Amino acid sequence: MSATSGSKAATRERVESWSGQSIPRKEDGRLVQGEGSFIDDLGLHGQGYAWFVRSPYAHARIVSVDTSAAVALEGVYAVLTGEEAREMCVVPFFQIAPGDGARIEEWPLAVDKVRYQGDAVAVVLADSRDTARDAAELVEVEYEPLAVVVDGVEAVEHAAPVLHEKAGTNVAWHGVYDYGDIDFALEHADHVVKIDRLHFHRFSSTPLECNGAVVDWDKGSGVIDVKSNIQMPMFAAMVIGPSLGVAINKFSFSSRDIGGAFGNKIGFYPQIAALALLSKKAGRPAKWTEYRTEHMLSSTHGNERTFLDIEVPVMADGTILGVKARAVDDVGAYLHYEPLGAVIWSQVLTGCYKFKNVKVDFTSALTNKCPVAPNRGYSRMQQLWMLERVIDIVAHELDFDPVALRKLNFVQPEDYPYQTPNGCVYDSGNLPLSLDMALELADVETWRRRQSEMGTGTGKRIGIGIGSTLDSGTNNFGQARIVNPDLPFSGNGEAAFAKLDLYGEVNINVGTTPQGQGHETTSAQVAADILNMSPNDVTVTIGFDQAHNATVGFSGTYASQFAVTGLGAVMGATAKLRDEILEVGAFALQAPKDDLELRDGACLVKGDPSRSIPFIGIANLIYTNNAMLPSELSSRIDLNCRYVYIPPFEVPDVERKMGNLTLTYASQIHVCVVEVDEETGVVEILSYVAVDDCGKRINPQIVEGQVHGAVGLGIAAALYEAFEYDEDGQLQEPSFYEYHVGTAMDIPDIRTGNIESPSPFTPNGAKGMGEGGGAAVHTICSALQDALGKDGAIVFDSHNTWERVYQLLQSSQGNEPRGVRVISREGGAA
Amino acid sequence: MTEQGTTHVIEVTINGRLYSRTVEARQLLVHFLRDTLDLTGTHIGCDTGSCGACSIILNGKLVKSCMMLAPQADGAVIETVEGLANDGELNPLQESFSRNHGLQCGYCTPGMLMAGTYLLRENPNPTEEEIRRGIKGNICRCTGYVNIVRSIMDVAGGHGAEQADGIVGEEQR
Amino acid sequence: MLLKSVNYVRPESVTEALDILSSNEGAAPLAGGQSLTNVLKHRVASVDLLVDISALGELRTITRAGDGSLEVGACVTYDEIDHSPDVRAGHAILARESSHIEDQQIRNRGTIGGNCCLSDPTNNLPPLLVALDATMNIRAVGGTRHVAAEDFFKGYFLTALEPGELLVSITIPPIPVGGGAGYVSLSVATDSKTIVRAAARVRVDGVIEEVRVVLARVASVPIRHHAMEEALRGVAPTAELVRAAAEVIGSDVEPIADGHGSSDYRRKMARVVARRAVLAAIEEGGRK
Repeated sequence: MSATSGSKAATRERVESWSGQSIPRKEDGRLVQGEGSFIDDLGLHGQGYAWFVRSPYAHARIVSVDTSAAVALEGVYAVLTGEEAREMCVVPFFQIAPGDGARIEEWPLAVDKVRYQGDAVAVVLADSRDTARDAAELVEVEYEPLAVVVDGVEAVEHAAPVLHEKAGTNVAWHGVYDYGDIDFALEHADHVVKIDRLHFHRFSSTPLECNGAVVDWDKGSGVIDVKSNIQMPMFAAMVIGPSLGVAINKFSFSSRDIGGAFGNKIGFYPQIAALALLSKKAGRPAKWTEYRTEHMLSSTHGNERTFLDIEVPVMADGTILGVKARAVDDVGAYLHYEPLGAVIWSQVLTGCYKFKNVKVDFTSALTNKCPVAPNRGYSRMQQLWMLERVIDIVAHELDFDPVALRKLNFVQPEDYPYQTPNGCVYDSGNLPLSLDMALELADVETWRRRQSEMGTGTGKRIGIGIGSTLDSGTNNFGQARIVNPDLPFSGNGEAAFAKLDLYGEVNINVGTTPQGQGHETTSAQVAADILNMSPNDVTVTIGFDQAHNATVGFSGTYASQFAVTGLGAVMGATAKLRDEILEVGAFALQAPKDDLELRDGACLVKGDPSRSIPFIGIANLIYTNNAMLPSELSSRIDLNCRYVYIPPFEVPDVERKMGNLTLTYASQIHVCVVEVDEETGVVEILSYVAVDDCGKRINPQIVEGQVHGAVGLGIAAALYEAFEYDEDGQLQEPSFYEYHVGTAMDIPDIRTGNIESPSPFTPNGAKGMGEGGGAAVHTICSALQDALGKDGAIVFDSHNTWERVYQLLQSSQGNEPRGVRVISREGGAA
Repeated sequence: MTEQGTTHVIEVTINGRLYSRTVEARQLLVHFLRDTLDLTGTHIGCDTGSCGACSIILNGKLVKSCMMLAPQADGAVIETVEGLANDGELNPLQESFSRNHGLQCGYCTPGMLMAGTYLLRENPNPTEEEIRRGIKGNICRCTGYVNIVRSIMDVAGGHGAEQADGIVGEEQR
Repeated sequence: MLLKSVNYVRPESVTEALDILSSNEGAAPLAGGQSLTNVLKHRVASVDLLVDISALGELRTITRAGDGSLEVGACVTYDEIDHSPDVRAGHAILARESSHIEDQQIRNRGTIGGNCCLSDPTNNLPPLLVALDATMNIRAVGGTRHVAAEDFFKGYFLTALEPGELLVSITIPPIPVGGGAGYVSLSVATDSKTIVRAAARVRVDGVIEEVRVVLARVASVPIRHHAMEEALRGVAPTAELVRAAAEVIGSDVEPIADGHGSSDYRRKMARVVARRAVLAAIEEGGRK
């Protein structure tokens, strides 16, 4: 009958609970018919099409911008330059960074200078896509190239060209995180393992749909209507509102279907601001569709982090006492959402491990590269990877079994809720059990046997790797104050409406911007449980709508939190609605509220179904027939229930950089088996297993899908995907032609297992999940390390192409400096 | 089209319906479908013919519509995602994708469905390896491909094209 | 992503196509378009007039002659080559390598002629055609000429084609009796961006009698490595001797580095793929 295939499974008779069922998704019906509404599918009457003019230079002074030829082209409505944009703005974009970083001036388009290849200097609006593209080529920009810096460490530790004169430095942020007493530990441990350098590379999740927006600055009303796939719309409004001199309630952000985001759709608010100004200038809506090359150059790259001078104190029995390191985060040319990455990693300061002494000297560095903004596993993935490398390297150097070493140092099941040295609280979990499950699912025993039987001389090697990771979810925005004490941010939250409509239909809307995570479905499951009806009969509004939906400042979809904040809001709102329905029902049925129940869209007296009133009757009394009700009731109840879920947070201790920075900690433990060709370095994945624990799963199939997706991105990042710049700041992978996205022939089948350790802190026992903590990157590196063997080289990089693997194999046989030293205390057991 | 020109009149049959339009020679077929005919189910994900989001079936062959010009489609018979369901009734392959959670954001899905449709017509009983080869030209960032392979496998075997399309042969389109 | 304004024409015969190409300076043939469309999208080259030859029946035939030689029309697609019984009968390696080109969509449109005329050092078929000693059949308004595959690829995106000429077909001689062919690619990922390739054709009669070893992506065009061929001629077809022969590939070969591989790695891998291709050719010959 209906187009939603969800109907078949979801009309099952009485179920214990819809939560926990893998019901087919409500989203699917339209999406499998190509009837989704993605941003390029939308438009407004009279719109023009926009095309950005972007700098080919990584660093240059803008000498002049001549738009006359472009303006003269038939069909061009308007051209906007950086100078004009600055004139039209009130202030530059608000900066998160304190001190020098706060003095960075960024406008919707580049003014005076361009700072990365792809920096936008002008934008054209025309009557067709083609005309806009042709006109963009006619904009003549004269540049005076400047010296370029493309290495984050060089940018801050040596004399390097400064990107932002007003800041006077390339250090966007610096701070030291210091807990326990690492120096004491280093002095007294039985061994100290010293690692010169670990490097986490630059890549992103490159969602298949690029960024886009239809922006209409309506002259008459002053409203800026923004249809866009930006995934934190209220954050965007917060930043661009003051710049454009526009009040928040004059913005109307909305989204419909979004073709993947993974964090990469948070940072493009400058483009939206530019489009708003362009719309204002042209007096018509501006539609912008980003194409792939533009996205690769100028949208979002993930944090590239270099760890230096790592020192790890280890006791004779393998107990790791802590970690000391210097970290330099290469955040690109502008700060979009950064430098929050400078604190967010500390949510997983110690990863899965219970050591107490940590010191990290952290610098966020500006370079002439694409700006960094969140990428799946934002900032935590880098820390978790470093910790996993440390574990493997310690095991390798001191001859411990990587499994035993992990189990010894893991947070133990009886430790939860576990407080980390910096005050974060791990809510629940069972890491040893997860690890055992993964090892068994992967049949590691058999692979170990095969590995030893293989011996040497076959030209192939087998490697078995482990990656243990945490997926911290629902963050406390108060951690922003650790970066900048003046930021008035703390806590988190999400909002939802639960309504009974005019004819008694149940309607839910949420402040999130779903990009494939199934929010419509899980919201319906949760609401259906509370109202005791089928999720089929619960309508969930698609997408985000600032005007229509419930929203709060943190609204959006990011940071692995929907199951907690979004569903928490839905639960709260639906519970309120349930209560209101019962109150009206109590009056209508002349029965005490406690004698009533809800079932399949009606309110009835328990045990006496002849006394019932359907939801349409309830709605009628409130909406169009309220004289029938006592005023005490009708003045209080409106069947439009808004609820804001607020997680229990406090403002962190900024001075000591401590606090409960995240509410939930899901975990993923992965095991993989690889085969390496010794002659070429080619790596083939023979087996891949992932065990996740995200507390109570509302829809297990959706959870498993997220695990698969995270693995796919992680494997591709580890072996295929990297953004690299040459010394002139030219991006070597500006399209999918150079940047190899993992295909179905590169990503293996993935077997999954799961554990449910419910969170004691959330309304539904669920934990946010989805990002996955980059486990696959850690696991692949671990497997390569294992393949290199006892006397092998050390894997220092998160990205290992065949050539890199080949080099590692070669250097295993050579005498080059290994980059690792072990210092054992005299008299200490080796 | 034996006369050269920057614009041409083309006739194309899409999902059983004949369209006649004047197109610019430079217009990519995918833009013709999306912008000129409002068939927005076919998507664009890249600009180098690498991602497959634009995949359609043209004269019985799976092709990337961003790698063809609109005038090249003159006289062609095209199938797009909009033609798979029958008046809102999903076909077995579409049902399977939903049942097996073979889609998350849905952006690659139209291309995947066309690739799956073509694959099963050519090879009604594919192995997992063959399925992966068949969708190698279709990038997905959300699913890691696992459930997409399962979705196609679930309708494979024995019934072949009939199973996937819900029809026998192309004549009935 | 959006093309410049361009003219388009679809001639109904090769003769007509040649007329148009020879009388329009900015004209270029459009076959499968799996490379040219990208070039146009990114505006890296200018074409005034696209001459669509992809549907010309004259260019889309595959003929297997009595002597076992194969003539493949320039606009035959990779997928058609893969599935052609005539190709599989005597040149299975051509079918096999065609089936590994990128993906199904590209194989359904991309043509052998396009793969050759682009002369991109990463392309799949040129090194194989050189190893198989193919002949490129070229037509102009004035007549026909034939160029050995080895002499057809001149440089980056440069072939022996003169303005106004069209590659109409490729003739591949039969694999010699007692011979076999081998092809090994090292790519960044499965069936993907090239690091280095090698193709070989070998005839063994006790010892290696005839051998052609072709390397790709070590220079701007596929090159025969004469020193390695010399080292192989007359020796027993053993793994050790083939390995020793491959070692002569050295500093004479200077592959251009890019994001997918350094020069040094490519050179070292050239030895590996060359060795493996020769061994595969020996094995195929032995099986027949």
